[in-house]
Amino acid sequence: MSNTTNGNIIQLEEGWNNVIKKGAIDVLEKTLDDGFDTSFEPKEYIRIYTTCYDMCTQRSPYNWSRDLYQRHGETIEQYLRNTVLPALRDKTGQGGTILLNELKHRWFNHQIMNKWLKKFFTYLDRYYVKHHSLPTLEQAGLQRFKDEIYENVKDTATTAIISLIDEEREGEIIDKTLIKSVVELYESMGMGNLDSYTADLETPFLEATRTYYAKKREDWIAKDSTPDYLIKVEKALNEEKLRVSEYLNPASEPKLRRVVEDEILLKVQQNLLEKEGSGCRVLLANDKAEDLQRMFSLFSRLEDGLQPMADIVQSFITYMGNACIDKRQSRLDSGEKDKNDDPEFIKSLIDLHEKYLGVIREIFASHHLFQKALKNSFEEIINNDVGQFTNAELMSTFCDRVLKSGGEKLNETEVDQSLERIVKLFSFLTDKDLFAEIYRNQLAKRLLNQRSASDDAEKSMISKLKCQCGTQFTSKMEGMLNDLVIGNDTKVEFDKHVAKQPSTNLSFSPQILTTGFWPTYKSPDVNIPENMTKCLEMFKEWHDKTHTKRKLTWVHSLGNATVRATFGKKSYDLQVTTLQAVALNVFNDGATHGLAELEKSLNLDLETLKPLMHSLSCGKHKVIIKSPASNKINSTDTFTANAKFTCNMRKIRIPMASIEASHSKARVDEDRSYAIEAVIVRIMKARKTMKHQQLISEVLSQLAFFKPQPRVIKKRIEALIDREYLERSAEDQQQYNYLA
Amino acid sequence: MTHPLFLVSCLNFQQISKEGDTFPVEVDVARMSELVKGMLEEDEDEDDTTEIPLPNVKAQVLKKVIEFCKHHKSEPMTDIEKPLKSANMAEVVQKWYADFVNVEQVLLFELILAANYMDIKPLLDLTCATVASMIKGKTPEEIRKTFNIANDFSPEEEAQVREENKWCEEP
Repeated sequence: MSNTTNGNIIQLEEGWNNVIKKGAIDVLEKTLDDGFDTSFEPKEYIRIYTTCYDMCTQRSPYNWSRDLYQRHGETIEQYLRNTVLPALRDKTGQGGTILLNELKHRWFNHQIMNKWLKKFFTYLDRYYVKHHSLPTLEQAGLQRFKDEIYENVKDTATTAIISLIDEEREGEIIDKTLIKSVVELYESMGMGNLDSYTADLETPFLEATRTYYAKKREDWIAKDSTPDYLIKVEKALNEEKLRVSEYLNPASEPKLRRVVEDEILLKVQQNLLEKEGSGCRVLLANDKAEDLQRMFSLFSRLEDGLQPMADIVQSFITYMGNACIDKRQSRLDSGEKDKNDDPEFIKSLIDLHEKYLGVIREIFASHHLFQKALKNSFEEIINNDVGQFTNAELMSTFCDRVLKSGGEKLNETEVDQSLERIVKLFSFLTDKDLFAEIYRNQLAKRLLNQRSASDDAEKSMISKLKCQCGTQFTSKMEGMLNDLVIGNDTKVEFDKHVAKQPSTNLSFSPQILTTGFWPTYKSPDVNIPENMTKCLEMFKEWHDKTHTKRKLTWVHSLGNATVRATFGKKSYDLQVTTLQAVALNVFNDGATHGLAELEKSLNLDLETLKPLMHSLSCGKHKVIIKSPASNKINSTDTFTANAKFTCNMRKIRIPMASIEASHSKARVDEDRSYAIEAVIVRIMKARKTMKHQQLISEVLSQLAFFKPQPRVIKKRIEALIDREYLERSAEDQQQYNYLA
Repeated sequence: MTHPLFLVSCLNFQQISKEGDTFPVEVDVARMSELVKGMLEEDEDEDDTTEIPLPNVKAQVLKKVIEFCKHHKSEPMTDIEKPLKSANMAEVVQKWYADFVNVEQVLLFELILAANYMDIKPLLDLTCATVASMIKGKTPEEIRKTFNIANDFSPEEEAQVREENKWCEEP
């Protein structure tokens, strides 16, 4: 391209000296040195730009692009070398702040100079730089600063920065803007990346930080309690975070944090957790929520930092649980009667669990490690049985107290809350099936004796168990409740039927219980008086008509009766069991009967008869007189109706000791045998062949409601081999094959 | 951005005061020129009017440049596809721009120089594309004629150049 202005060719030295050097560079350097604001009038600026433009667009050999590009760099280089570096050298050794201030000032000036020179020579950027793939004017200017200044002062500057930061850490007030400006220089010197910042400032800074906090750690750990130490850690971490945001590059944040955490947390973690008098256990024991929370949040920063803490929590909760157990043990040792009902103990476990459930939720943010710690410790506590009764039974009995009328006397919300909590404890129980068995017995008793306080509460409890263990677990209990519902309908229909029949003088209402849902009851084949037998037959006839396929069995031991009895002039309504009623019926004749005679006439064995007669003749209401009078039934005793019996009340309940044990261990064992065998067969059917150990562990993993001993499983395997479901492999004695 | 700006055309700096033709231009329009834009960055808050002298640009040419910049504000020029899809500028850019460069060769070249000097990329693109469209599809002889260029090759030289560049004449 040609210069069309006036056809005058500008010679290199002429353009450089007369216009560029004199009009631009000298002016620029002077204003920088004098500290004035640099600016150029449009006219002046255009004059310089135009000169450069012309010099770069003249035809060869008068095209001076290459020379101007070179001189641009040299100009900067020389200014840096002759003016800036000596000025910095002057300030070295007079203290960090002075040097940093000078560096900041010079860096600021350089940016101004670089900017203006780029503007003047900008035509070079547009073509010459591009065509020759050279660094842009700006990059070239930066590179000069890096080579001439930065490389020479960076070490001193870094040291100065670090010592200022250390001063700040000790509470001094420092010039943060100064550091921030110098940090910007380090960032710019990477020419588009952070390499210079990282290598020249960050690395030495992190090293210094490590040293600083290593020393702090030694100081603090020697004299501070764990909570005090952790407060300092928290403060230090916050300060360092703030430091990065105030004057360092954000990229340093994670690295700095790591170094500090390493030095003042990780290296003394065990020490802090176990510190005598203020460690984690002590904090737990004294419910130091705030300190624990701080400890949790600090250790959660470390990789796997929470496990040791969770371990301590677990061992502490276990310890607290064992204390509850020890307390029960010592009550028993000191002579308290060992009953299946120990609400104090169960409540103490519920409270313990609720408390630490809350602690883990509120202090440990429901962290999974801590949830697991709670679970582990409670699994240990709940399955630690002391005394005659298992915890499964104690818990079930506690439910019974809550659910039966006149038990704990709680309102609806409290009932539900208690059940909710007990089910939580239940979930830790290994022998869930044992609990279910006992619970079912107690449920049956509540239902049949109308002792259940609320249908809704019963249903709610069952649905909680169902949630926890699945449908199979509660199907029998649900069946029981269902029987009662159907029973009500049946009763209405049967009453209609009875109304059409000739009167029996007795009002009578049967309850049908489905075999299997309910516990098995011993049913003595008692001789029933004729008028009662009529009722039974009437029902049987009616029932068999509607349900031909069903077999009806009478369980008299569960029946109740109200008997109108007349003693002298007064008559009473005696509320008794069916068996008691049958026995009382015998005494209607007013004669005296011996025990052996009764045994025969009633067709009851002594085992049933003795407590029966005891309830009538030795209880609070002695409607029968025993001879000789004593509190024990002997085979030689004789009985007569008590003609002189009186009582203030008209309605009298005569309680009778339950004939049956509340649950049978044998039955649980039997159910377990079936369950184990079912699981073995299911597994072997799928796998066809399996090693002994593998099979055992597979079986254990599939059994949800109890954990049998391996030898129990082995017994079941042998039983299955006997019954030819399985065989031992011919090649390997330790292996079983499935036989289809 | 409402204060007016004056672009002053002149042939050299001595002439500015004497016979510069002064063109008032809105700042927004003048900013199309990177050169002007770069200067305005410096004194943002100056509210009195700024005169920007533009040696190298004749009044007649500057008038055209300003016309271009103004129009570009209301109807920005579409990017020019490369290689040119047609020798007819009306098929390359909007009609206004095609008409705009339908000028004498001398003025066209002066516009190129002004666009380069003032660093106005769309104008430089348009004017250079126009020159390219004048070359497109022509034989060397026709090109020489178009731009009034004397053939300074000797016959031998010409033969050699043709031989070396044979590939580009093949279909």
